[in-house]
Amino acid sequence: MSSYDLQINGQAYTVEAEAQMPLLWVLRDLLGLTGTKFSCGVGLCGSCTVLIDGEPEHSCVTPVERAAGKAITTIEGLSPEVSHPLQEAWLEENVSQCGYCQPGQIMNAAALLQKNPDPSDAEIDVAMSDVLCRCGTYQRIRKAIHRAAEEA
Amino acid sequence: MKNELTRRDFIKLVGMAGGGLVLAVSLDACASDSPIPATLTPLSPTSTPRPRAPFDWAPNIFLKVDQDGILTVYAFRSDMGQGIRTAIAMLVAEELDVDWTAVRIEQVPADPRYGDQLTGGSVSISSNYSGLRLAGAMARQMLVEAAADVWDADPAQCATEAGFVIHPDKQQKIPYGDLVEAAAKKDVPKQTKIKEPSAYRIVGTGKGHWDAPQMVSGKAIYGLDVRVSGMSFAVIARCPVFGGTFASYNDSAAQTVPGVRQIVALDKSIAVVAENTWAAIQGRNALKVTWDEGRNASLSSEELRTAAKERIPQLGSSDKVMDAIYEIPFEAHATMEPMNCTAHVHDGICEVWAPTQNPQAVQMQVAAATRIPREDVTVNVPLIGGAFGRRIQTDYAVEAALVSQAIEAPVQVMWTRDDDLQHDYYHDLSVHYVSVVREKINIPRLQSSGSRSMVPTGAWRSVEHFPQGYVTQCFIDEMAYELGRDPLDLRLELYSDRAAQVIRLAAEKAEWGKSMPAGQGQGLAYHATFGVTHVAYVAEVAVDEDGRVRVRRVVAAVDCGEVINPDNVAAQIEGGIVFGLTAALKAEATLQAGRIQQSNFHDYPIVKMDEMPLVEVYIVESDQRPSGMGEMGVPPIAPAVANAVFAATGKRIRHIPIRPEDLKA
Repeated sequence: MSSYDLQINGQAYTVEAEAQMPLLWVLRDLLGLTGTKFSCGVGLCGSCTVLIDGEPEHSCVTPVERAAGKAITTIEGLSPEVSHPLQEAWLEENVSQCGYCQPGQIMNAAALLQKNPDPSDAEIDVAMSDVLCRCGTYQRIRKAIHRAAEEA
Repeated sequence: MKNELTRRDFIKLVGMAGGGLVLAVSLDACASDSPIPATLTPLSPTSTPRPRAPFDWAPNIFLKVDQDGILTVYAFRSDMGQGIRTAIAMLVAEELDVDWTAVRIEQVPADPRYGDQLTGGSVSISSNYSGLRLAGAMARQMLVEAAADVWDADPAQCATEAGFVIHPDKQQKIPYGDLVEAAAKKDVPKQTKIKEPSAYRIVGTGKGHWDAPQMVSGKAIYGLDVRVSGMSFAVIARCPVFGGTFASYNDSAAQTVPGVRQIVALDKSIAVVAENTWAAIQGRNALKVTWDEGRNASLSSEELRTAAKERIPQLGSSDKVMDAIYEIPFEAHATMEPMNCTAHVHDGICEVWAPTQNPQAVQMQVAAATRIPREDVTVNVPLIGGAFGRRIQTDYAVEAALVSQAIEAPVQVMWTRDDDLQHDYYHDLSVHYVSVVREKINIPRLQSSGSRSMVPTGAWRSVEHFPQGYVTQCFIDEMAYELGRDPLDLRLELYSDRAAQVIRLAAEKAEWGKSMPAGQGQGLAYHATFGVTHVAYVAEVAVDEDGRVRVRRVVAAVDCGEVINPDNVAAQIEGGIVFGLTAALKAEATLQAGRIQQSNFHDYPIVKMDEMPLVEVYIVESDQRPSGMGEMGVPPIAPAVANAVFAATGKRIRHIPIRPEDLKA
């Protein structure tokens, strides 16, 4: 066990954890930040996506030691009052069904818009195909990203 | 009654004539039985009501209204993404007549007062439609009577609007919140009127899920997000072969994994309990188990399929009979939130937090397994990250309760993705013989045979209607080509009324029969899932040289009776299409050596963003009772795609998933 200093959503945390413990479980089980979701555990589905220094990362395969000292943003830190353009667009387009994958979808979309403020459908497909949704909300996700891009 | 109401300090009134001007009246100035607006004074921003003792009025088991006029609707069915919490609340809010922003939803635990709480069969609305509307309407009537007393007016002449009772003079109104104490003393009306559709303000408008703001901010609490003070986290090692158990195990290495607290042997499996989920997984990796695989250790899908085929009496194709055999593999549910349950057995009781479609069955099974009386088992239902029928089963909840009982502490048992895919209750593998007598062209006859094995099977979104829709609609397409008929024309001959209407509508919107480039085609399919909701699809596909099928567009026509939430009807169609496409083109669960071979999304691949077709949904206006939507979008998509693949390639594939190797030139 070692001690790690983490910067999560602008706040400083110190955790005692095994070096290889994935950031996902640090967030969920040690810090109680349960907005980031577990689904595949091996970096295949994107439900656990967080931003690390602005880059979308699968927190389920990111050892805590690799995240230490970097700026981590989770869904809880995206905006103080559900006011991020993506969150608003998600509500406008009624994207969520079960909603379980949506934090990962939104975090991945946030990274996309940071790099590409006005992505085409094809660019959205490429960037977003890493994040799986079993309910089938993809069409609305695409619309919501366009809407957020327009309004940002 | 009147006196009690008038003793209250403040009543806010919104002046109708004043165009929304907010006015207030101090009742202290009023004689106890005089009509309210003796004097009306503008409400200043600084004037706030004095605190009142909280009072919630719950006239029936479906709702309560508080003194702020907030309506809380009690959701008694499980929401796994199909939007039932929202739909229940829409019906109650409509009849009570409150603004949608004044609605809150609370999920009730397992409770026999709600009848059967099993969420399945797409019947949550159709079987509760009248009851929910009456619950709201009766409460509304009691509020009206309470207001009429205040005004000494005829209740029949009073109206309601968005949380207010309106005086017959249309000049005065009282908010519901100020009437709840008086309404609570009213008799529940023996009969009441429900709204005419022309008066709807909420039903028929598109509403996002009520929980959506929580979902998009990470605040929504799913099963895996339940946290109980002092809880442990556990994963369970189960025999990979169905029906097997452990012969022996060595946990000395597992015990040394940092964070592991305890190893608990259950009847046929071994739980690793730890401080956190990751430690539990590491502990399980270190556990050495010798499995007693039992008598299914050599079972395979192939063997089961062959046996199923042999059980079906076949007429044999002839001049008189047209026939074919279609095959469907095992399918997994693959919910994004894997199975999990949190349980706390203590002081002779058991508290369970189960993302379940079936809270009363969980209560019964947990009670039986833990030997705790049923009434001492509380089953709470958090939000559910997908279910599709899997969470009708109670296995994962019983496990959690047993682990908690063994360790005498609260525990969350989580299933990893491989646990979830390999210990599912699968949609059964099946073989179908389909035939029609040439002289009597009709909807074809289907004879079906399943796996009949130890492989656990269960409900999977649309259940037997998935194979029924798939095989019937593919074969009608075969019949059309064999008879030289257009698949649309033949269907319009075979189907009538509401069925024909959706078939015609989908065909028209999709421009059925339009010319398509080489390698592309249109396919049509129709199915009435559970015989009640009519759905027709036209799928447009493109098949490339490597045999890869791309579904570019699906035009959907739906008749589900009266529509509660049209936006959600469209969402359920989109979702049903994506769910069905995974089975039609991508994933199957295969059995080899008695175990399911797939373990994660690399070998059980589900449809991704770049495979999403453009979906257009057209809803037939209907005054029929609502008939359900949760599963109805699934059955027609696989046949629509298979028929489109035939139109594009001339190849009739009689199994799913359709693979590129089936179509390679």
